[in-house]
Parts: sequence; structure tokens; C-alpha cells
Amino acid sequence: MRPVTCEECGTGVLVEKRSLPHTSVQWTGPTDRCPQLAGGGARIEGCTRLRASIEREVREGRLTVAHDD
Amino acid sequence: MSAPSTTEHQVRTIEAGSPPERFARGWHCLGLAESFKDGAPHEIEAFGTKLVVFQAQDTGRLHVLDAYCPHMGGNLARGTVKGDTVVCPFHGWLWKGDGRCAGIPYAHRVPPRARTRAWTTLEENKQLFVWYDPEGAPPPEGVTIPRIEGAFSDEWSDWTWHSLRIDGSHCREIVDNVVDMAHFFYVHNSFPTYFKNVFEGHIATQYQATAPRGDMTAAETVSAQGDTRSVASYHGPSYMVVYLDMDVDGTTVETAMINCHYPVSADSFVLMYGALVKKLPGMTDEMAAESAAMAAQGLAAGFEQDIEIWKNKTRIDNPLLCDQDGPVYQLRRWYEQFYVDVADVRPEMTDRFEFEIDTERAVKVWQAEVDANLARRARAARGEA
Repeated sequence: MRPVTCEECGTGVLVEKRSLPHTSVQWTGPTDRCPQLAGGGARIEGCTRLRASIEREVREGRLTVAHDD
Repeated sequence: MSAPSTTEHQVRTIEAGSPPERFARGWHCLGLAESFKDGAPHEIEAFGTKLVVFQAQDTGRLHVLDAYCPHMGGNLARGTVKGDTVVCPFHGWLWKGDGRCAGIPYAHRVPPRARTRAWTTLEENKQLFVWYDPEGAPPPEGVTIPRIEGAFSDEWSDWTWHSLRIDGSHCREIVDNVVDMAHFFYVHNSFPTYFKNVFEGHIATQYQATAPRGDMTAAETVSAQGDTRSVASYHGPSYMVVYLDMDVDGTTVETAMINCHYPVSADSFVLMYGALVKKLPGMTDEMAAESAAMAAQGLAAGFEQDIEIWKNKTRIDNPLLCDQDGPVYQLRRWYEQFYVDVADVRPEMTDRFEFEIDTERAVKVWQAEVDANLARRARAARGEA
């Protein structure tokens, strides 16, 4: 998994993409700095800004899309 | 006899492991609250012991105590309810909902240490819950059962409710389903097109969308008729709330479902499920009840399919996953938090984790299978081979 920092709140997460549609995101701390997730927990599907940040990383070649094996 | 080949050396060996001896910490639903409010004590076999559920006549509150009377071991669930106490059938000792002995008719006084275990209870969504923690701590703040508005609204049907005991399987089998996209196609005749999991804290959620299975009848799958979207969350180790919207004939049918269980022993559990359906405009109470019963039938059919798998499968601690499987190991890491002492809950068990499956290939392959089934049926209808 590769580190990605959210352009909105600055939270760093670990991301893996095995293909363009696949995304795996591992937080390594609380989500309380994220304006979209704070307080909602697993009842919120995801943060759109973090998703945009991940897509930007892929677009700009800093996050490679590959199988992990 | 030839020597084993290199490939044989690399054969994957299943590690079955053994189910944990302890039970999961958390709220466990015992059933619809109303079913315990008939004036009689009720026996529940759970957590390796027996419990008694009774309603205090004076306050109307439901209480849960250890079923076995600490005096001589009589079973309180076989006794009677008197005022706000349950009376032991063996020697007439009276026990209050807080676990205190309220009287011993034939004794001068009650021994000062006459106290039995009173379990922490909660009534929510017209269901009764009991808190289990092997360390004996009360439920932490924020670890609770979410309110389902439909359970209290005239615009929704009443709960349907079913309960069945599963022997020979640990309840991890049903929890695994949270991440298991492919089994929805192969076991439940459903057609997932979108599948994402999110785990955070004590909640694990599955976001799913399904397409209709044109090659299936309504009896074969709940999702035969239309597109569905669902959000299903485990709130703790055993209580899942499912909100499912299904498009049928240009309308959206909203359903709320419960899929919950409590452990009986290390390898048996009681599975319970129920459904609520939002009444469509012009729907009578009877029609809504029928609609909820149909949703419950769909659930029942689904669980029967699961049970058939569980009965014949092995426990497996080291699943061999492919690239389009869901995050089984991360789900089990989340689930483990309920089986260790609070002091041993590691951050990675509760830190947020998201996993969106790439369904592109699965959808293509499954659509081809559906099309082939339809073509075969059409040929058969035309009398061709």
C-alpha cells in the first residue's frame, strides 16, 4: 500500500489499487479530521475529496495500478 | 510409486483452526421484545449457559438473569413471574430484575450475599438486547444499537420474525458473508454489480447494488424482479441492519431487515431475521404485512442456502483468495476485536478500512451466464434441443 495525503484535510492514508475500479484504503488513525467522515464512521461510504486525491495520484503517476503479487 | 512432484509439495493445506472458546463482547438481540411480554419467564440458551428473560409486572420492564438459581441450581425459566420478581420452581426464592433476592418465603431472612447475575439489557426497535462482556464491563459510550425509524412508524409494516438454531458452525461463518461478493451470485442467485466494504470502530458495512436475474424466478432469488441497492451494517459482532431499496414496476420498495444471532456454544448459534416494508401509496396494512412476509421469505430462502453451505463446508482460517474477492482477512481482523480483552484491541482492528471491488470482470462473466440460461430456456420453449 502507498501513502496518499488528502488534499482537503491533510490526513494521510495507505492506498492500494489493483485495477482502476478497485480501491483499498487503510486509515492509520482516527477519521475525525475528515469533514465528511467525522462522526459517521462505517455508515458513510467514503470521502469524495479523498477519492479525488487518490484519483489525482493515479492520474499523475504517483500511485501505480498493479496487482500486489 | 512416483515421488511427489514439486506441485504436490506446494498444495495449499487448509488450516481449519478451532472456534474461539470465548464469546463475542457486544450487544446481542434475543428477539422481539413483545414475545417475552406474556407474563411467563422465558429460557434462552446462550453464551454457554442458560438465561431467563421475564417482564416485571409492576414496571413492565424486561429483565435478564442467569437462569440457574444460585441457591440449589433450579431453573428460573421453569418458574413463575410474581410482581416484579421471578420465582424459582425448586424452593420458591424470589429474584428481582437487578439480581437481588427479594425474599425466601420459608426463611427468617435473606442471606446478605443472595445475589445472582443480572444482565444489562436494552430495548430498541421493539427488540430485546443483552450486553455480553466476559470482562464484566458495561457497554462503552457510543457502542449501541441504532434506531430504525420504520419500526416505530405507521408508514411501515410490523416486524416479521424468524429464529433458527444452527449446530456445528461458529457464527463467524455468517459474518464472513459481509465481504463475500461472489457467494451472492453462486449461492443466492443474485447479481452484484457494485460492492464495497467499510469497517470502522465496531461497525462493518457492506454497500451493494444488484441487477435483476432475468433467468431466475422470484422464488429463486429476492433480486429477480429489479435493481436493488443496499447498505448492510453490523453494529458490533452480531446485529446487522440492512436497508434495501428495490425497483419494481417503476416504484421503489423500501425494506429494512435484521440479520442477527447470538452464540449458544463455541460451535452453535441462534440465527434470527426479520423484515419491515414501507407501505406504498394506497397499500393497506394487510398488503404491507404481506409484502414484509415476502421479504422475510426471501431472507429465509437466502439463509437456507447459506445453511446448506455451512453444514457441508469446513471451518477455514487461511482462505485462499483471488484478486476479485472481498477483504476476508481484514473483516476477520475487525471481528477479532470482539474476542479479545478490551486492553488487547489493536488499532488495526478498529481503524477505518475501505475496500471497493472491481466488479467489471465478474459482471461480464455473470451476464454471459444469465444470457446463456435465457437462450437455453428460449430454445427449450421452442422445442429445440
